[in-house]
Amino acid sequence: MSDIPQGLVSFDVGKAAVTMNVDADVYPLQALYGAAFIFIDRCYVFIDKPAQGQFRVTLGARGTVEDEEALRRLVGEFANELLTCAWRHQITQDNRMLIEAVTMQAIGGAAGSPSLDDLANFDFSDDAFEDPLGIAQSWEEKHGKKAGAGEDAT
Amino acid sequence: MIELRFHRDIYAGESVDEALKVFERFATWEREQTDDAWVVRCTHDDAAREKKVANELANYALGLTIRRGGAT
Repeated sequence: MSDIPQGLVSFDVGKAAVTMNVDADVYPLQALYGAAFIFIDRCYVFIDKPAQGQFRVTLGARGTVEDEEALRRLVGEFANELLTCAWRHQITQDNRMLIEAVTMQAIGGAAGSPSLDDLANFDFSDDAFEDPLGIAQSWEEKHGKKAGAGEDAT
Repeated sequence: MIELRFHRDIYAGESVDEALKVFERFATWEREQTDDAWVVRCTHDDAAREKKVANELANYALGLTIRRGGAT
């Protein structure tokens, strides 16, 4: 495993625990929650906030630890999971509007078909949608022969 | 005695209380509130047992907090 940057992680083999400092700007709390939840059955997880914009995660082994390497593996796996969770969180944030729109459509569809009153009150005056690329045009409208000056249009 | 400081931005107070109810019979507990943390002190005659119970309580409180969607 590659070396972990200095100052980021500290090992305590005697207490079978490893502490990792996490930058809140890089890893949001929701990502930290996600990674912690996965590790909660493997080790003891404690999250602290020593300063604004910084989290401190302490992972404690459930049993005794032979050497520092075991703790190094544990924190390495946690860091990988944290990165995955942070990336998933970012994707969710980026697609939030889309997810909400799809969900609203699904819920709207589940409400059933509109009543006659709803249809009677529906405002049909507006254009259904804009069609700047002419997608809704028929083939004849788009590619059909134009009636020339000398041609018989009938 | 082991003192656990659950930061209010990270742990939900309800989750800490619920965890305390579950682990009440395994040790002697004291609780206190500060501006930024829920403080819990665990006492048990057996030091190893004390550490284990305190760690389990912290895990339980964190799990409940995550399940409810966070501290707020």
